[in-house]
Amino acid sequence: MRFQTAIGIAALVLYVLGAGWAQAQSSGPLRIEITEGVIEPLPFALPVFEAETGDAGSYAGQISQVIAADLTGTGLFREIAPSAFISGVSSFAAPIQFADWKAINAQALVTGAVSVQGNRLNVKFRLYDVFSGAEMGSGLQFTGTTDGWRRMAHKVADAVYSRITGEGGYFDSRVVYVSETGAKDSRQKRLAIMDYDGANVQYLTDSSSIVLAPRFSPDGQRVLYTSYETGFPRIYVLDVGSVQRRVLESQEGTMSFAPRFAPDGRTIVYSLSQGGNTDIYAMNINGGGVTRLTSAPSIETAPSFSPDGSQIVFESDRSGSQQLYVMPARGGEARRISFGPGRYGTPVWSPRGDLVAFTKQNAGRFHIGVMRLDGSEERLLTASFLDEGPTWAPNGRVIMFTRETQGAQGRSTLYSVDITGRNLRPVRTPEGGSDPSWSPLQP
Amino acid sequence: MHKGHYISGTAHLALLGWMAFGDVFAAEPLPFQATDVSVISSAQFDALMAAQQAPQSVTEVAQPAAPEAVVDTPQPPVPDTETELVQPDPAVTPEAETPPDVSQITPLPPPADVSDQAPVLDQPSADIAVLVPEVADTPVPQAAERVAPEAVQPPDPEALPDPVEQEAVAPDAQGETLQEPSDATAPEAAATEIVTEAEQPARAPDTSLRPPARRPEAPVQTAAAAPQVPATDDAVDAAVEEAVAAAQTPAPVPQGPPLTGGEKDALRVAVSSCWNVGSLSTDALATTVVVQVSMMPDGKPVNGSIRMASSSGGSDAAARQAFEAARRAIIRCGSRGFDLPPEKYGQWQEIEMTFNPERMRIK
Repeated sequence: MRFQTAIGIAALVLYVLGAGWAQAQSSGPLRIEITEGVIEPLPFALPVFEAETGDAGSYAGQISQVIAADLTGTGLFREIAPSAFISGVSSFAAPIQFADWKAINAQALVTGAVSVQGNRLNVKFRLYDVFSGAEMGSGLQFTGTTDGWRRMAHKVADAVYSRITGEGGYFDSRVVYVSETGAKDSRQKRLAIMDYDGANVQYLTDSSSIVLAPRFSPDGQRVLYTSYETGFPRIYVLDVGSVQRRVLESQEGTMSFAPRFAPDGRTIVYSLSQGGNTDIYAMNINGGGVTRLTSAPSIETAPSFSPDGSQIVFESDRSGSQQLYVMPARGGEARRISFGPGRYGTPVWSPRGDLVAFTKQNAGRFHIGVMRLDGSEERLLTASFLDEGPTWAPNGRVIMFTRETQGAQGRSTLYSVDITGRNLRPVRTPEGGSDPSWSPLQP
Repeated sequence: MHKGHYISGTAHLALLGWMAFGDVFAAEPLPFQATDVSVISSAQFDALMAAQQAPQSVTEVAQPAAPEAVVDTPQPPVPDTETELVQPDPAVTPEAETPPDVSQITPLPPPADVSDQAPVLDQPSADIAVLVPEVADTPVPQAAERVAPEAVQPPDPEALPDPVEQEAVAPDAQGETLQEPSDATAPEAAATEIVTEAEQPARAPDTSLRPPARRPEAPVQTAAAAPQVPATDDAVDAAVEEAVAAAQTPAPVPQGPPLTGGEKDALRVAVSSCWNVGSLSTDALATTVVVQVSMMPDGKPVNGSIRMASSSGGSDAAARQAFEAARRAIIRCGSRGFDLPPEKYGQWQEIEMTFNPERMRIK
């Protein structure tokens, strides 16, 4: 009898526990996990900015075009043609008819207004998330001169890009590069600077001597480059604003090349070839001591600082083939990071510090690629007859490089590509271009 | 008296005689095989034995005679004789054809009398039932969905591809409510993977269903007669209060059984098709967000109820970007209502979606 009672109690306890568990199961929300999405450009609508003053109409149209081109050029956004708009934006202050924009599947909406007073230009904008019917961030306003209307358009595009993607922008930046004209055997080279999108090209040197490998300073005010003006390659530093330049001191009978600024803007690292051996040196740009960082009998070149200035990535053939190595900024033991087939060169540390971009030569083709600092997750982004010289956009998401076509009439062109490998597109320059160096975002 | 003995004796004698002379006990001859033996003469035997003797060795072998040296003098080539060109016969111009005689052609018969009226068919008798098997005996190959053997007509150019399906709205001059015209959109026909015909299960069953066993019909439940209660004022008041309370309390939410895997998958696929991670930063692509949303009975999300329950793996800014992308996905693809079973509304009234972009990082 007692045994039967115990069994009965145990059954009752189990029943109650089971019922409670079932209750807990049915009362909670339905849970699903979504791991697959789509990757497609985000459609946005950008009605022409309102001209608040009578003479602002042309600026409003041009600024709207540049903003749309900036966003579309990233490959992450798609502009909805204005002909598809159901209702326009009559006034910057007017309420937004979200249903009209939702109907044409605009997921983001940019509205703005432009006013001109004298030579002062005033641009303001708002960004809306159409499907939530809310503004993303608050409105922003930029003021400048009418000459700088392109920069102000880039500023607006940077803000829109940054708010939607969460990345920093890169539109309000410049690129210094080597402009090339003529055939391969008699090519004229001169330094040029332009907006990131190829507009506003200005030449910094004439084409009397060969110039190579310009590199921006961290503040974007100076440019280091190598010139054969004296017959030997020597390093020059050029002030972008005044176009004044000076040669850095060097020893007689040596060749200095591949210079690059340290993040502090005062130190540079470069390669120096002496007696058939090439090593990496550091030097204070204001006339200081020269420090030798490597002392191997092999060729060490193409140094690039980490963003925090503590390490240097460079290329070396000390193992027999050209590979990438990382060493402390003051020199010391180097650690090899590239192990794949082929030859690796021209490493550049990402401004975010997480990746290294490089040129790879393998099986008769050149690639631009990225890898992590331990050599993992190597990803080749391009492949062609000749791709080389990568440089990072200020936000570390886009890479610009040189692509040269085959043959005696081959031409060098600048290209840009996203670090995912998508959105490969040429950068329009008036002439051929090579050796690009991307500036930081302008203040 | 002895007639029986005679008959018996005669019969026995006849039987014994038949057994003795009628080959009853004669054994069947055993089967045997005959082989023909040929007889040969002694001369033939000697010749036969001589052929089996070992051959005598021959010491002298005749040497082959040396081949005669034949001087191969090439014959001078015979000059080619010119072949006479045969002139082709001049082409004979055909005589002009005489025009056919059309006088004998009879005119076409008059066109058949075609009536627009459909013939009236007799209604089939309602008594005759035609049994059509529901399932084919043999597997019927299905048309492949993704790859058609020949090009199909392009879809209606008016319908723009879009995950959100909507009908075209045309301006109507007579309508009272003025509605802005918009293009028709329809989701692009696509699938996450190509399923070939060979991979699709056939519709024919592998085994036939077992016929249902005979069961006694369930007894009809009859309600017991309600006890007759005298109608008092209290009872009336109670009934009125009960009716008022029933009117005021909302209809109970149908709970139903839990959602099946297929129903959950349909919801997952629907949200996935609008979850655009292309514009997310690398930080946001490393952030998993858990989003809670309340649903209306028609399957549409309550937009104001979408909230981030938790996030992991990234900064607050990255989590906000990831949440906004998730919210856009829920609102966009839920604007027409998700395909969820209404009888199970209680099961999906609250949904918690985990957006995990781990697999979308490098694609």
